[in-house]
Amino acid sequence: MNAFPEKLEEIIELFEHLPETERREMLISFSENTRQHEPREGETFDLEDVRKDDECTDEVGVFLNIDDQGGAHFRVKLGPKVQTLTRAMTAILCQGLDGSSPQALQEVPQDFVPRIVGSELVRLRSQTVYYVLTRMKSACAVYLKRERAAI
Amino acid sequence: MTGCPPPGGLWVRRLAMNEKFAAYAHPEVLVDRAWIEEHLDDPNVRIVESNEDILLYDTGHIPGAVHIDWRRDLQDQTVRDYIREEGFAALCRRNGITESTTVVVYGDKSNWWACYAFWVFTLFGHKNLKVLDGGRDHWVAQDGPLTKEVPSLEPVPYPTPLKRRDDEIRAFFVDTLAHAKAALPLVDVRSPGEFSGEVTHMPEYPQEGVLRGGHIPGAHSCPWKTAANDDDTFKSREELAKIYEEGLGLKQDDNVVAYCRIGERSSHTWFVLTYLLGFENVRNYDGSWTEWGNMVGVPIERTND
Repeated sequence: MNAFPEKLEEIIELFEHLPETERREMLISFSENTRQHEPREGETFDLEDVRKDDECTDEVGVFLNIDDQGGAHFRVKLGPKVQTLTRAMTAILCQGLDGSSPQALQEVPQDFVPRIVGSELVRLRSQTVYYVLTRMKSACAVYLKRERAAI
Repeated sequence: MTGCPPPGGLWVRRLAMNEKFAAYAHPEVLVDRAWIEEHLDDPNVRIVESNEDILLYDTGHIPGAVHIDWRRDLQDQTVRDYIREEGFAALCRRNGITESTTVVVYGDKSNWWACYAFWVFTLFGHKNLKVLDGGRDHWVAQDGPLTKEVPSLEPVPYPTPLKRRDDEIRAFFVDTLAHAKAALPLVDVRSPGEFSGEVTHMPEYPQEGVLRGGHIPGAHSCPWKTAANDDDTFKSREELAKIYEEGLGLKQDDNVVAYCRIGERSSHTWFVLTYLLGFENVRNYDGSWTEWGNMVGVPIERTND
């Protein structure tokens, strides 16, 4: 059994085989696609969590919808000061985690991040790449808690 | 092209900007957008982007700008120190910088890393250095042109500097300890919470490995941000004098040491004190709080103790 959802595993494998220059280009490309994952006009969500924490340089809004089959779908809105790597990781997570169950999402280990980002770009001040995953897991946890409370 | 005024509004803005620059002690170290646009094709000018956001340059930069990364390019990769003389010469050679090239630095975070690069270039005695006032965010806010095209540069000659001028503008731990014991001016440019000891990292940042919170005994608290306007440009000389001379009581000929956590925010303050206010003896303690706060047997102060 894969530790990661299938779509995320595919993205990880794609990045792992890229030379450094292409890895950077791919990260930039993902970072520029972040807007595609923002909430759209008129959309409603099962859970909305918009806030700015000490760990991130700007406001991050996480919007969660659960479909009829129990699959999670995220939209994320990032403030303009969020770093490029964090933007890239946001687009990767929105795509890679799409359709997974909230229970499975909470179990996703974060050790895939260096496999995507590569050793050259991993540094202390890039740690906010982990932040959006933490926020997504937190949204799933709140959703599940509400579901249990409603039973 | 230099004799031909830019169109209306830009020219008016430039005159106002130049008046601001003219009041500084060393106005020649600052440039604005109009200056950059006039020199985009100047072979004697090299524009250098230096950021905290490691991929920001790749998303688009000022046409012709090269990227110098504080960790990869300016620091030694195995010793906590800067590159040595030969490394600096090699860095300049591969970035098309000769000894006489005018280097203009700019970057994100209100020019923290641009000032850091300026400081490192000064360590090696490079003469013609300038900072783009307002840095990258201000350039973008003014709709300054950006490109993803990375300049293709032929290596140029750069003589290996005779020495790194550590003894002139850099303070090591032992220097700072002696400075504190002698009750000489120390400026802590971190956030108020970091200074007081309430937190051990700056807001919005991860913990960068320090065991104790507080400040160097006797240090003045004056966050770097007080020197910058909301649009990331530097405050006027009059405003800066109020902050550092009237507020902190610093004098032009004082022996001053500035510090933060790892030396980037204090590079900004070092630049302000040295070039905008004209202080003659300012050093940057780059070991800063990540060294002092972890050092065995060294006293700290906390505001509420």
